[in-house]
Amino acid sequence: MRIHWAGCGALLGAALFLAPLAEAHHSNSAFYVDKVITIKGVVKEFKWANPHVWIIMTVDDGKGNKVDWKVEGRPPGILGRAGWTPKSLQPGETITVDLSPAKDATASGLIARVTKADGSILSNAPPPTE
Amino acid sequence: MKPLNAIALVATLSIPVVLHAQSTPPDFSGVYYPINPFGPFRGGPAAGARQPQGPPPKPTASAPLSDGSRGRSPDAPALTPEYMAKWQMISKTRIAGSSEYDPTAKCLPPGMPAMMTMAYGMEVMQNKDKITFFSELNDALRRVYLDGRKPSQKVLDDPTYAGYSTGHWEGDTLVVDTVALRDVTFIEGFTPHSDSMTVHERIRFKEPGLLEDKITVTDPKALTKPWETVKTYRRATRESGTDELREFACPEGLAEAK
Repeated sequence: MRIHWAGCGALLGAALFLAPLAEAHHSNSAFYVDKVITIKGVVKEFKWANPHVWIIMTVDDGKGNKVDWKVEGRPPGILGRAGWTPKSLQPGETITVDLSPAKDATASGLIARVTKADGSILSNAPPPTE
Repeated sequence: MKPLNAIALVATLSIPVVLHAQSTPPDFSGVYYPINPFGPFRGGPAAGARQPQGPPPKPTASAPLSDGSRGRSPDAPALTPEYMAKWQMISKTRIAGSSEYDPTAKCLPPGMPAMMTMAYGMEVMQNKDKITFFSELNDALRRVYLDGRKPSQKVLDDPTYAGYSTGHWEGDTLVVDTVALRDVTFIEGFTPHSDSMTVHERIRFKEPGLLEDKITVTDPKALTKPWETVKTYRRATRESGTDELREFACPEGLAEAK
């Protein structure tokens, strides 16, 4: 889904703002789901797989180190209805990810949304069913 | 009134009655998505609230909190002390970051009645003798027999995740009873239940394309009173582009899931 906010209608904005939080296939116990941090990095690998897609991305930790983050997303069925495809992310592209950090303090998290370099947003859920 | 007219009137009045008695039941077949599957989202904008212009605000959560750290919802099933203790034990493991008491995390079916939450999508397949409910989440399946059969002793001795469901039509409403359920699943959330749980459902079109399932859960060991909930699902149209569910194949990447 490519969303260009400059020309975006209020209706679409409302639909995305109200988008429900999608439940994972599991309980999400491994993550602080009600905390969201933001990381920016370069896609190393995008795995389009059940029960969760994965993004492996290289992040500069601000201390001169490159850290590989492994972030978990919804299943392809859900994300497909939210506008994702297996080709949504390519190795080498820079992305910003809002995510809930893992409780075990590893470099991993649960995706809340992905923002591409051109500003387009990949949401973690399709618009709500009404 | 002349006799002939009276006969005509009786004939006219009787037609709808005859048609109703012989009417075919509604066809629930199709792909559906749940409406508000997890109840009201706390912290979201109020209904009808004006939306801000410009880029959407940064999300404040990635998923509903489901570890019990805020206690039980007032409309959650009322548990006996024994099963409340089980719930509290599971809550502690979840707050600590574990999914060990979550069959769905191991790609197992959510089971009845939790599967009717249909967190992802649902496909209904129906014929005269059987109606089948398919959950996109974990590719879970349940069959409801409509041909008058009843659960045998063999079935009752062999509980399953989906249980054994039989149903009949009462007008346009499908009435379903489910027995022979395993006690390793949850009623909703991670509310535990016993092997004595039974589920009663009344399923109908509330309006065209809007399917409603009124669910009553009875469990004399785990619940202090029957628990009632209502689920609604919107049928996807072909025009929407969402009337096909994707394969789930849960074990595909399970080893990497957190």
